[in-house]
Amino acid sequence: MSALARPSMEDAPGGPAAGRATSRPPRGHGPNFARVVTSEWTKLTSLRSTAMISVATVVVTWALTYLAANASSVDPGFVPLDSLTTGLLLAQVGPLVLGILAGTGEFTTGTFRSTFTAVPQRLPVLAAQVVAAGAFALLVAAATVGAAVAALVPAASSRGISLDLTADGTPQVMVGMTTYLVAMALLGLAVGALLRSPVPAIALTVVLVLVLPVLLSLGSELATGPTSAPVAADVPSQQSVVNTVVTFLPSGAADLLVRAPGSSGIEGAPDLGPRVGALVLAGWILLPLTAAAVRLRARDVA
Amino acid sequence: MIQVEALTKRYGPTTAVDELTFAARPGTVTGFLGPNGAGKSTTMRMIVGLERPTSGTATVGGRRYADLPAPLHAVGVMLDVRSVHPGRTAFRHLLAQARTHGISRSRVDEVIAITGLESVAGRRAGTYSLGMGQRLGIAGALLGDPETLILDEPVNGLDPDGVLWVRGLVRSLAAEGRTVFLSSHLMHELSLCADRVVIIGKGRLLADASVSELVQRSEHASTVRIRTTDPDLLTKVLVGLGAEVVPHDNGVLNVQGASVDDVGAAAARCGATVLELAADGGSLEDAYLHLTADAVQYRGGSTDGTTTDAPAGGAR
Repeated sequence: MSALARPSMEDAPGGPAAGRATSRPPRGHGPNFARVVTSEWTKLTSLRSTAMISVATVVVTWALTYLAANASSVDPGFVPLDSLTTGLLLAQVGPLVLGILAGTGEFTTGTFRSTFTAVPQRLPVLAAQVVAAGAFALLVAAATVGAAVAALVPAASSRGISLDLTADGTPQVMVGMTTYLVAMALLGLAVGALLRSPVPAIALTVVLVLVLPVLLSLGSELATGPTSAPVAADVPSQQSVVNTVVTFLPSGAADLLVRAPGSSGIEGAPDLGPRVGALVLAGWILLPLTAAAVRLRARDVA
Repeated sequence: MIQVEALTKRYGPTTAVDELTFAARPGTVTGFLGPNGAGKSTTMRMIVGLERPTSGTATVGGRRYADLPAPLHAVGVMLDVRSVHPGRTAFRHLLAQARTHGISRSRVDEVIAITGLESVAGRRAGTYSLGMGQRLGIAGALLGDPETLILDEPVNGLDPDGVLWVRGLVRSLAAEGRTVFLSSHLMHELSLCADRVVIIGKGRLLADASVSELVQRSEHASTVRIRTTDPDLLTKVLVGLGAEVVPHDNGVLNVQGASVDDVGAAAARCGATVLELAADGGSLEDAYLHLTADAVQYRGGSTDGTTTDAPAGGAR
């Protein structure tokens, strides 16, 4: 029985916690938004996946743009800057996945326990993730646009054309590309934070961003094919409805952002311009982000 | 100081924590004991605000956890080894936590040194053994130099050195006047490092007592076996003390309702020569098992796979 009695305090090994009194941190210094942002930035930049996705996004964009520009450089009317946005279709997947991993990482790994015991209000964490992921995506997007421009140089110089980045609305297109890539990261973050699991989040966003516009366009083309001649009178309106819907999908909004001013948009769809395109994208981000915030606030996280 | 009052958590029809009330006081190591599934972790998660109580309150230092102005400085929490991104190094994980409170890098290095993780702090946490993960969890709990520590199964997965280290650590933290609240499913472990033990089963409070009280209680519940030259005389004396005595051959008496000390003293007083004196069973572990016998949710060897309080589907 006595063997079970606990040893006296003197028996305790020399306290490893001893000597800590000298370095007590200042009291009353809790979390504020700036601190939570630096914490989220530290988390984001301390993962290999973040670096790998960023590098892959830049490299893939460079390669696709380079190939596209080289292929078109044989055309007599070759305009190098027309190939500037060719890498975007695939490049957008990078920031999207980056955002999804940032949004789901807390929950798939259990890190949320450490995070939400440090910041029990929870919502500042989500807001800080938006800021940190947005800022990081901005750097990646700038590098990606830079890579796209650099990829045009060989084809342009082979034809003796000099690249003028200040002309023909090119600055707007570059800003639009950057905005779109950042928006994809934030869309990924919002959907990831809502669904808390990467596979459903990737499936949902890929369908929304890549598959749905193709399916809709394909569907409307099939419906207006020769077999549906009797309803020919309805065709223009039907197609314009589908095209309008496509315009309000994220990829359609992207098209509004990166389209050179003055060029024609999707047939039958209203030309809304880059500002409305940005608003549409913002809506696509805010919808899942708000739902994620409600879920985070109202429910147990354990 | 942790105060839990009438804390209740229901998940649909299941009650995980049921009207639980107890306190963990400064300068004390309070053990939190119960079989697996008794509601220990749920209670701890409610104390730190990860889960909302269905009813009742839990406060730390008089405040709800969510109302603490600087949680890491008030409460150090280690709930689950899987609270770290496996792709992040221990240093970066702790640094990210520290930055939410503006805690310096040097303090991060300090807790890494305290927990003995210096040589592996630059390795990704996914490569850690269970014991290293526990040390990392404890490092995170110490980061803000908190007044209160909440540790869920801190010795789980540690090697013998690590177990001794944790015992020493929690004792020294309590000696500095801090509140230490740690869970275990092993009575033995808590009897070695806790001052008080809160025992729960099926979410209900079974006992809230000091370790020495529990030792006494378990001794009272035990059987003392004594062999003496004068069993008749001793039986009279012991019955007079209110004990139950069952005589056996060769002068052996089995005594219940008296401790070894009581029986020995009684024998000395009446002059009966003691040939043998021993307590049968009655260890702290037995007392604990006795207390929780009805409250074990996942009993080994159960073939029907239903818990005792599951509604009988076919009846009525």
